[in-house]
Amino acid sequence: MTTVQTRSDTLKRFKNLEFILGVLLVGGITLAVVITHWLFPDSGTQVNLTQRLVPPMTEPGIWLGTDALGRDILGRAILGGEISLKVGVYSALGAVILGIVMGLISGYYGGFVDVFVMRFADVQLALPFILLAITFIAVIGGGLTNMIILLIVSQWVQYARLVRGSVLSLRDQEFILSARAIGVHDIRILFQHLLPNLIGPVIVLMTLNVANNILLESSLTFLGLGVDPTIPSWGGMLAEGRTYLQTAWWLSVFPGLAILLTVLGLNLLGDWLRDILDPTGRTSL
Amino acid sequence: MKNGKVLLKSLLASVALAAAISAQAGSLTIASPQDPGSWDPIDTFLVNWASVATNVFDGLTYRGPDMALVPGLATAWEENEDGTRIRFTLREDVTFHNGEPFNAESVKFTFDRLLGEEGAQGPQRSNYTAIDSIEIIDDYTVDMHLHQPDPVLLTKLAGYGAMIVPPQYIQEHGSDHFAIHPVGTGPFQIVNYARRERVELEAYADHWGGAPRLDQLTYRFISEPSTAIAELQSGGVHIVIPPTVPIGMIDTIENNRNTHVASVPSPTVEALRFNTESGITADERVRRALIMAVDREAIVDSILAGQGQVISSFQGEFSFGYDPEMEPIPHDMEGARQLLAEAGVEPGASLQIDVRGGDATFGEVAQVVSSYLQMLGLNVSIRGYETNVLLNDIIPEGRTGEMFQQKWGGWTFDFDNTAYLMYHTGERWNPYDSDEELDAMLNEQRSITDPARREDLLQSIARYTQDRALEMPLYSINALYGVRNEVQNFEAAPDNRLRLTDVYLED
Repeated sequence: MTTVQTRSDTLKRFKNLEFILGVLLVGGITLAVVITHWLFPDSGTQVNLTQRLVPPMTEPGIWLGTDALGRDILGRAILGGEISLKVGVYSALGAVILGIVMGLISGYYGGFVDVFVMRFADVQLALPFILLAITFIAVIGGGLTNMIILLIVSQWVQYARLVRGSVLSLRDQEFILSARAIGVHDIRILFQHLLPNLIGPVIVLMTLNVANNILLESSLTFLGLGVDPTIPSWGGMLAEGRTYLQTAWWLSVFPGLAILLTVLGLNLLGDWLRDILDPTGRTSL
Repeated sequence: MKNGKVLLKSLLASVALAAAISAQAGSLTIASPQDPGSWDPIDTFLVNWASVATNVFDGLTYRGPDMALVPGLATAWEENEDGTRIRFTLREDVTFHNGEPFNAESVKFTFDRLLGEEGAQGPQRSNYTAIDSIEIIDDYTVDMHLHQPDPVLLTKLAGYGAMIVPPQYIQEHGSDHFAIHPVGTGPFQIVNYARRERVELEAYADHWGGAPRLDQLTYRFISEPSTAIAELQSGGVHIVIPPTVPIGMIDTIENNRNTHVASVPSPTVEALRFNTESGITADERVRRALIMAVDREAIVDSILAGQGQVISSFQGEFSFGYDPEMEPIPHDMEGARQLLAEAGVEPGASLQIDVRGGDATFGEVAQVVSSYLQMLGLNVSIRGYETNVLLNDIIPEGRTGEMFQQKWGGWTFDFDNTAYLMYHTGERWNPYDSDEELDAMLNEQRSITDPARREDLLQSIARYTQDRALEMPLYSINALYGVRNEVQNFEAAPDNRLRLTDVYLED
């Protein structure tokens, strides 16, 4: 009896730690992005050819060193966070909305609509992301907006499948049947009765998805398919730093760390959220 | 299980074999960024074709790293009075790698092929259209008849399309076979070619200039600079040839105690050219303002680490037609602002720069340029394309932004080749501009035989392009080779055409 007690205590403490760390990391980075943009709008974009490749902590005011064009790495890493967070959050939001709508319709109405939507989703899942990305960017072009659209297009399927599964298990339960019996409109059933009952796992998935999208954005920009190189971004900084990996490590290590910490923070938050919102573990990822 | 063991054994064996081969004296490996795909001289315009094929083929003339034109397969030549006929005396006792003898017949065959139907399908023919025909005088004497004098012809005979090929071999096996299994008279012969992976060469003992010191020569095709340089550091390759080494990795190579960088001024020049047809750059004043706004000295000093020279027109100092008196348009931010205001360009006007996405060094240069232009109040974006897309679709079809990157080799070291292709109406690299006066000058210089007069005219052309601000000339950039210290006698070639007869490895 006592051992069980301690184990669950440790678990609880760990869960709290997870939450605290997650909030600190994600909150800290978001705050840094917002503040820098507000306080020092120019930091990190100012080219200074007389101060190239300064190592970290060697000159006053340059904490994390400068890159090959003499731009402040700290400033760039924070500004780069803006791109990453924007892409991560906007694309996850877009994908959630699209996914929920498609999933609700598909699960609730079933039949032909269901077959159509789900087979379409299958086709989409069968395409490797990078192939889809390269084709998409070759046709539509790169840039921030296009990247968000690309991520929405490639990620909504996960939500649609999750939502559809939940709807299937919910739609024949008594409260839905009775709502239908008294003549509640379909739209109201979908959004007022079904949606609140399945939103938990969706939110969990979304947290993890934001992290994943940040990684995808960085990879695409690293490959030169993402945002304009004049805009600081973590993936772009990594790609530029690659040339100097053996002579100026700070160019790539810091943006790399920034990605690591953000993704870690979001994952911790996501884990914690799952325990709160979805204790039975329906979001088995 | 048993299969696994066999596999493991054969793997071990092949590793041991590979080690044995690389330990063998006189086996040199080179990393080249690009597989030309075909070894047929009439079928290529790639510098990285020449960095392999200069070892395999000979031309009538030869030009080494010192840029002097010396006898190749021809021991002597003389031009007639009006420059319409060149008589070549050919080298005797020369054989192709397959044993076929070299004589006047091979020369005639080579040029008939280049100028005939087969050559017409390739990109080389247009360089040699001054040649009318080859007349065989005797077995070892030929006359080359010309439509019109071509002052650069003897240089052009030292490379690319003019490499002498074996008539019997090609007639017997066909050109498709020849492209993959080439045969020449050069110091090395190709023994194995694995597409996009490597090409292996072996010394040709019967070469007319004596056998090379190396026994084996292997080129590996490695396009990613970090990979090529990691191989250099670990000893997987001995030399990394241009255009691979980014400026930013010079220190990486120099800091390693087994490797060093060999740098030599090259004919390669870079410019940001303008869309003179539409957008804000259609206005000459705007173009001039943009050029004035960018401090090119600072770019060469810092980003290029001094491995280049600022240029005033689209040619380097070794180019015939270069004028040392001609100054680049000076850096003048204030003047640029005034000029831009005069032209009525509003702050926030957008300007797009198209670049090769994979070019690390130029990526930095483009960002510095964009930061200068942003100081003018312009809204600058940089768009990276895959190199082949930029060169084959975007530039020739006139779909670029206001500015685009142009990198140019110019191996003939003569401004004619560059200027004609860049500025003459209707040329592939001139999608936007048409200028009758410039066309007339470009045509005229092609028929002048007096070198002094021609140089004068080429210099006027260069000035004219500067007056019209047709491009933002940036710099000529050195050819950078990453070399392991055990490589001896290696002389870095400015034009990347390597001939490794005297190179050897020290134990």
